Amino acid sequence: MLGKLTWADIPLDQPIPLIAGVGAFSIVGLVVIYVLLKGWGPYLWREWITSVDHKHIGVMYVFLAAVMLLRGFVDAIMMRSQQALAFQAPGYLPPDHYDQIFAAHGTLMIFFVAMAFVIGLINIVVPLQLGVRDVAFPTLNSVSFWLTATGALLINISLVVGEFSHVGWLPFPPLSELRYSPGVGMDYYLWSLQISGVGTLLTGVNFVTTILKLHAPGMTYMRMPVFCWTAFASMLLIVAAFPVLTATLAMLLLDRYLGFHFFTNEAGGNVMMFNNLIWIWGHPEVYILVLPAFGVFSEVFSTYSGKPLFGYRSMVAATMVICILSFTVWLHHFFTMGAGADVNAVFGILSMIIAVPTGVKVFNWMFTMYGGRVRYASPMYWGIGFIVTIIIAGMTGVLLAVPPADFLLHNSLFLVAHFHNVIIGAILFGMFAGYTYWFPKAFGFRLDERLGKAAFWCWFVGFYLAFMPLYVVGLMGMTRRMQHYDNPAWYPWLLVAAAGAAVILVGIGFQIAQLVVSIRNREELRDTTGDPWDGRALEWSTSSPPPPFNFAVLPHVEGTDAYWLMKQRARERGAPEPEPAYQDIELPRNSATGFVCAFFAAILGFSLIWQIWWLAALAFVGAFATFVVFAWRDRTEYRIPAAEVARIDRENRAARRLALAQMEPAE
Amino acid sequence: MSDTDARLHLHHASDHAPGDEPVSGHEIAEGLLGYIVGLFLAALITAVAFFLVGTSLVWQPSIPVALLVLAVAQMGVHLVFFLHITTGPDNYNNVLALAFGVLIVGLIIVGSMWIMTNMNHNMMPMNMMHM
Repeated sequence: MLGKLTWADIPLDQPIPLIAGVGAFSIVGLVVIYVLLKGWGPYLWREWITSVDHKHIGVMYVFLAAVMLLRGFVDAIMMRSQQALAFQAPGYLPPDHYDQIFAAHGTLMIFFVAMAFVIGLINIVVPLQLGVRDVAFPTLNSVSFWLTATGALLINISLVVGEFSHVGWLPFPPLSELRYSPGVGMDYYLWSLQISGVGTLLTGVNFVTTILKLHAPGMTYMRMPVFCWTAFASMLLIVAAFPVLTATLAMLLLDRYLGFHFFTNEAGGNVMMFNNLIWIWGHPEVYILVLPAFGVFSEVFSTYSGKPLFGYRSMVAATMVICILSFTVWLHHFFTMGAGADVNAVFGILSMIIAVPTGVKVFNWMFTMYGGRVRYASPMYWGIGFIVTIIIAGMTGVLLAVPPADFLLHNSLFLVAHFHNVIIGAILFGMFAGYTYWFPKAFGFRLDERLGKAAFWCWFVGFYLAFMPLYVVGLMGMTRRMQHYDNPAWYPWLLVAAAGAAVILVGIGFQIAQLVVSIRNREELRDTTGDPWDGRALEWSTSSPPPPFNFAVLPHVEGTDAYWLMKQRARERGAPEPEPAYQDIELPRNSATGFVCAFFAAILGFSLIWQIWWLAALAFVGAFATFVVFAWRDRTEYRIPAAEVARIDRENRAARRLALAQMEPAE
Repeated sequence: MSDTDARLHLHHASDHAPGDEPVSGHEIAEGLLGYIVGLFLAALITAVAFFLVGTSLVWQPSIPVALLVLAVAQMGVHLVFFLHITTGPDNYNNVLALAFGVLIVGLIIVGSMWIMTNMNHNMMPMNMMHM
């Protein structure tokens, strides 16, 4: 009746995950009860859960990423403290649990923190920057988000029901095959990634279409802000790479569930093929995440330097070159697998070549600041910290791209330090810069600057303290994922690394405090005009938060930095643009399709993991029925009357006129 | 570059998101004809492929090549009649997307084959004898 699920699967003998899991789920339960008692349920349902507004979906993505960041960071703290304690000692985490922690840490941080954060920012910003009212397929967007959330939910359920994968963030066979991982942990991993992978792929399709097809009048490709370009490149990579991930994991699932032999040792399976396929997805994945971060920094450097981005065309070219080249370097993840010198040399050289367009970008950012009137707001702190850190990451990356060096450093903590250098130093710093930069656009008030800068310094110093020692012990020969060790030379470095993690913890504390303080002081931090940073792209030309329709009238774009040009003209004229003729606006209606689909997907995933076949069939039918109901809907849009549009827009225009009057006229 | 961009956006009024194109009754009939022709051609090519494998009418060693040619033709039929890839100016995005897709699939397949055939290069000769 319940497949493999029995009472024995609740890990009563393992106090740490059980207490953590029960604690986390009771906090979530209490929050839900509080919300319902307060009567916020209908509001949440109407404005967020069923919303198809790209801004609301984006905010939910970022919220998911933030919660999962906390969860993933708890894992990180546990690993660092375990290694600090486990010198000639067993530490406090048994090997079986330690394995699950590093597997969960990697999986969560990549798929549900970095991906969710990147897609969240793209959701909030890209339609606004393109000057349009929504993405190409708004309901699909909601489906994407809820499927991603389903994946995250399944992974967190594994804390209290069953176990999680022991294999690491990528499930390399033969260890991940049924013979060596007979438990449900591996299946939790596989099904949650399959479900969230569908969501990610749909996001890719949605945004490629949006960026290619939906533009404000005059917004040609070469006038799009660089963030849109990087989002476009990232989404193209998703469309090209995620099917490879899905297919590879599907083959592993067939091996595990139906006795196939794609990646087994026996019956003609080829373990190496899994390495090859997973990295065909895995390397572009790095660029899926990092390119939008580069885009954020392009916006930030140009805005806070008061200058157009240096080398816009070279920036676009570099982005698209990286987009293609990222598909030609995957073998550098397995130089040591046994390929000959020819293959290794070619992929080594290609890996070094991909550093060139990234170098172009670094110079462009520095030249953007050069000669500008630089304002040191906290996004600039993240930006300058990023430039320093990404250069180190790039250098160690080029070093790892040399096959003979890689034979020495493969699977060592040097590698771990390198990719954290990229993921924290570039992607996470980029996301935090974007979070601070666009927070007023999403919520209508700015974040507290002092606490933001304190958070930056803690993250920056904490990162160096935590990961520079890992470079050192990596060179000394320490491999990754060690539960305990006996080498006294490593011990002091691992203590420093643990201290670094503690400093980062303080940084996260500052970020939470920043959010709380900013919400409390929101009236003082209010952004009345919608343009708090003297911005350049179109998202700043509408109010903060933007109305549901984004723009009362679609803006007319006449060059790059479209809003800057508009402001320039308004200053010359001494008055904002004359009031346009308002018209009724039609917007897509809310839809519960995404939420209901994800509800069934969660049941489907859970029942497949535990092999409860009847429930899986029911859930599949339910998900399909939801789709059919959506396809047969009659009313797809609602209408906002012109008078209402005019009322909302006039408020914002009045605030802007006031701001313009306080400014000196253009000389 | 800017020329192409300008051209891309001049026809903005007639540029619609997929599934969003305005349809009239006339166009539906026209589209249906295209699909029927496509279906007929696709079925024909499939039938020929199955026929070739079972027949002794043609020179046997040529059959793999013939199947390859038929497979490529099948892809062509799908692209033209079902995915509506044409050389028209409003098809710029679709053609580029197709080229990107072909490039990536090519990289993946050729790269994988090269890597996997080269795989045992650094292994002990004993293992190579067993392989």
